[in-house]
Order: sequence, then structure tokens, then C-alpha cells
Amino acid sequence: MTQRLETSSTPPLKLTGVTFGFGRRETAAQSPVLKNVSFTIAAGEVLGILGPNGSGKSTLMKILMRILVPQQGTVEWFGQSHDAFYQSDVARHVAFVPQETQQAFPFTISEMVLMGRYPHHGRTWGLGWESSQDRAVAMQAMNDLGVSHLGTRLITNVSGGERQRAVIARALAQEPDVLLLDEPTAFLDLHHQLEIARIIRRLNRERGLTVVLVSHDLNLASQYCDRLLLLREGEIVTVGTSEDVIAGESLERVYGCPVLVDRHPQSGRPRVTLPV
Amino acid sequence: MSGGLGTLALLAFVACLGFGTETISFPKVAALLAQGPFAEGTMQNAPHYIILWQVRVPRVLLAFMVGGSLAAVGASLQALLRNPLADPYVIGISSGAALGAAVAILFGVGLSVFGLSVLPFCAFLGALVSLFIVYRIAVSYRSFSMHTLLLGGVVLNAIFSALILFLTSLADPYKASGMYAWLMGSLTGPDFQTVLVLAVYLIFGVCVLVSQARSLNLLTLGEEAARSLGVEVERVKRVIFAASALLTGSVVAFSGLIGFVGLIVPHAVRLAFGADHRLLLIASGIVGGTFLMVADTLARTLLSPTEIPVGVVTALVGGPIFLYLLVQQRKRIVS
Repeated sequence: MTQRLETSSTPPLKLTGVTFGFGRRETAAQSPVLKNVSFTIAAGEVLGILGPNGSGKSTLMKILMRILVPQQGTVEWFGQSHDAFYQSDVARHVAFVPQETQQAFPFTISEMVLMGRYPHHGRTWGLGWESSQDRAVAMQAMNDLGVSHLGTRLITNVSGGERQRAVIARALAQEPDVLLLDEPTAFLDLHHQLEIARIIRRLNRERGLTVVLVSHDLNLASQYCDRLLLLREGEIVTVGTSEDVIAGESLERVYGCPVLVDRHPQSGRPRVTLPV
Repeated sequence: MSGGLGTLALLAFVACLGFGTETISFPKVAALLAQGPFAEGTMQNAPHYIILWQVRVPRVLLAFMVGGSLAAVGASLQALLRNPLADPYVIGISSGAALGAAVAILFGVGLSVFGLSVLPFCAFLGALVSLFIVYRIAVSYRSFSMHTLLLGGVVLNAIFSALILFLTSLADPYKASGMYAWLMGSLTGPDFQTVLVLAVYLIFGVCVLVSQARSLNLLTLGEEAARSLGVEVERVKRVIFAASALLTGSVVAFSGLIGFVGLIVPHAVRLAFGADHRLLLIASGIVGGTFLMVADTLARTLLSPTEIPVGVVTALVGGPIFLYLLVQQRKRIVS
């Protein structure tokens, strides 16, 4: 049986005792990527997920998007367990921006953004041409991300920053309540990093969009996230504010190297640098 | 846009009917077509009428349907495998179907279940099995899947060809020569009934592919991204696999191995109409059909009265284009 996903009840996302491993059941149980992970994401917050390589950050994001289904534990979207929903039900409320978007085929930017309307068309067998409302939503998303002038350009022919903004616009075209971003600034230069970070914060403040982002950039996360979650080898080490998490002791334990923590000159939030 | 393509296909259809060992002028073709297939009286016995309705119309229609199906399968597999160089012939699906058909021909001629020949069913099974193998190859190496897939296709083709040749060597010489002609791809001598039966399979298969066009658009982003956008990836994949195997199996059972149509036609159509599969699949169907009608007309007229197998014509046109595209893709990856 399936049912529609209701968004009235909070919190938007809740994980209870989630354990996940790749491969067959036995190997998955022997070397899980995530072990007994439980946490709750509050409506309207920006949560940063941090951790060294291989700590399970991206896997956790895919579980939140139901790209992967955990072997143990439950994931709840708006208080409802995930088994009951079609993938498109989830995609109307949660949108995912992957680390990298590769495209071998010549789609235009506006065609890419319109793909975000897919979950709103139900599971139809027809051609599913987009309505004028779909186009209006996509256009709005492109304006929000400043890519509306690129509409007719091919996704294969724009810069990395423009492509990343187009992919975020596609996620917004889903009209989600929760936006998941997997290293949104990983392949971008300083200018584009700042731009994407500011766009994400604006969407959060102006529209109450709940944001979960994975980042290797501890400073970016410290500045822009309300709460941080630190993972090591598939287990949660700490969850809390940047004051709690960006602390010399816990970072040194998790990353296994000495770090210096001082304050950001503008925000006063903790800032990490490596010793010489 | 598709209206323009339709007109083009119709003009090509009439033109292809005119050419042959016996040339019939366009006005005459039009006049004879207007008589319909069941003309009565003197018309019925006119040589041109018989040539047109009993020989050329079934053959040209068959060419159109086979070409259109191969192009639609090619475009769909390219999206599903995220590889612009995928083609049912190049990656070994067609030879899988051919092996299935060869087994049926050599061991079970005349064998039928509930009045249906087992030949297309065996070809369908062969196509499905090889499609499954190719898919496993494609997903085994994420970052290098493009070349892995093509290499895998080469090896699958080699294995299936060896098995087909082995089976053929066991057959009596008469059967064997028929096998060779069929393997090279040929649209020779279909009757109306055959064409109609095949039409049912092919139109159904193409409609199923077109119904999944929107999901195919999203699958070009990769399975995880498609899933995050609400695509029921496993269901869509099963539908595409089944429809592609049905189309490839039916086409191979009736016309043997005709290569590269599924590769070059979607490429050309993408250049003109873009990548949206809702347009791409339909336009590829029309253009692929037109392409094979013309190729088959060349095959039967160039050395008339001798016929060149149409698979030879498409390979000679498509092979070099494939190599060119391969070099282009490589350049893009390196740069």
C-alpha cells in the first residue's frame, strides 16, 4: 500500500538506529559504512555533516534521499516511515544536489532545470510535457540561481560554477521542503564557493528551506550551518553548534592530525587552520 | 517538425517503391498505390501492379519498420547505459538475438507453440540475455564504463559469432548458406502477412519505449540522480530492457544482423532536435526508418540484378561514422 506524504508533522527527517553496508547481506553486516546512526533534522535549520574521507557522509545523504535503503533502522520523512512511499513522493519534498553532474548528452540548461518537475507529474505513461505552471516554477528557480540567461546553453558547454547553479535550480524546481547538498562547493573556486554558500543561506532564511549539506570545508560549514554533525567511521562523534564541534580536541581525534582553532574575524565563529 | 519528418519519410517511401530492377515512374507509383492492395479486374494482373504491391510495398515497409525500431532501441540504450556510442549491434545485443534465432532455426524448424513460431521468441531470449550481460559490464566500472562497454560488446560479439558459426558448421550445406545470407542482414522477400505480424510487435515495442521517454531523460543523469528526482529506476530499467529485447529480437529474427542504424541515426537527430527523448525517440524512429528504406533500395539496385545484403551497406556507411565519433569522444574526455 502507498500513501501520500504529508508535511504537516515535524521533524522533516529523522533517523533511528540506521545501519548500512554495501554489497551482499553478509559483507554488508561485516563492514557497515554507517553504524547505528540516529539523529533528527529540525525544520528550517542548516545542518552540516562533517567527517574524514570514507566516514560515510555521502552514504548518509543517499539514505536521506532514499537512493540507498538501510539494512537496519528506520528513516522517517515528516514523521512517516519510508517504505510506504513512491520515490516521486519523496522527491516532491526532498531534493538532492549530487557532488558532480556529468552529462554526455546535449541537454540545454532549461531542459535540465525542467527535469526537476518530474516528481510532480505522477507516474504517468504519457510523454508528460510540462505545463505552463511547470515552466513558471523552473523559470523562478533559474532566476533565484542567476542562470536564467543561460537557458538555451548546453549543460556540456557551461563552466563548473554555472553547472552547479543549474543543478541547484533543478533541485529548487522540485519545490522541496528539504534541500540536500553533497559537497556543493567541492569543485569551485573561491568566488563561486562564496556565491553558492550565500545562495544557500538566502534560501534558508527567506523561505525556511531546511538544508543538509556535506562538506570537507570545515570553515565554510562553521560559518553557514546552524548545527554540525561530525562522523567518524560511520558513527556520530558529536552533534551540536559550531562551538561544540569545531573544537581542537574532537577534530584532532577524528581527523588524526593536529589543528589550530581560532575565531573568524567577522562572525566570531570557530575557524580551523593547519599548523606548519 | 515531426510533420516535416513525416513528409520526408513519405516522399522517400514513394521514391524507394519506384526503384528496382524494373523502374516505375513516380506518377505511376502514385497511381498504383491509389488502387489499393485489393484492386480488381485488369489491374490485378498488370506486371507493375504485382511488382509494386506484392514485392516492393512489403519490403519497403519492412525496411522502414526495422530501421525505425533499431534507431529507437539505439537511442534508448544510449540513455540507459549513458553511452552515446551504444547500438544494439555494436554492444552485442543483435548477435545475442541471432544466436537465439540460429538455435531455433537449426534445432527447431517448424517447431511452434500455440501456433506461434518459436524463432522470434528464441531471438527475444537471446537479446534479453546479452542485454543483461552488457548491462552488468556497463555498471561494473563506473568511471570507465564507456570503453568497458564497447570492449565488452566486441568480446560478446566474438563469442556469439563463434557459437553461431559452430552451429552453422553442424548444419547441412543448404541450410548453412541460408544462414549466412540471413546473418549478413537482409530484407529479402517478406510477404504482407509477415510484415503485418511484425508491425504489431514493433509498433508495440516502440510505443513502450516512447512512453518511458521522460524517465530516459533523467536516466542520462545517472541512476542515483534519476532516483533522487523521483524515477522508479528499477521498474523503468526492466521496461526498457524488455522492450529493447522485444524489438531487437523481432528485427533480428526477420532480417538478420543490420548494424549501426541505432548508432548514427540518434546522433544525427540529436544534432538537429536536441537531446529530449520525447522528441528524439519519435524523430529517430522516422529518420531510422527512412534511412533503412534508402539503404535497402541502394542494396537492391546498385548491382542489380544481384543484391548486396543491406547489413553490408549499413556497416559500410555506419562503421566509419562510428570510428569518427569514437575519436571525437576520446578527444572530449582527454581535453
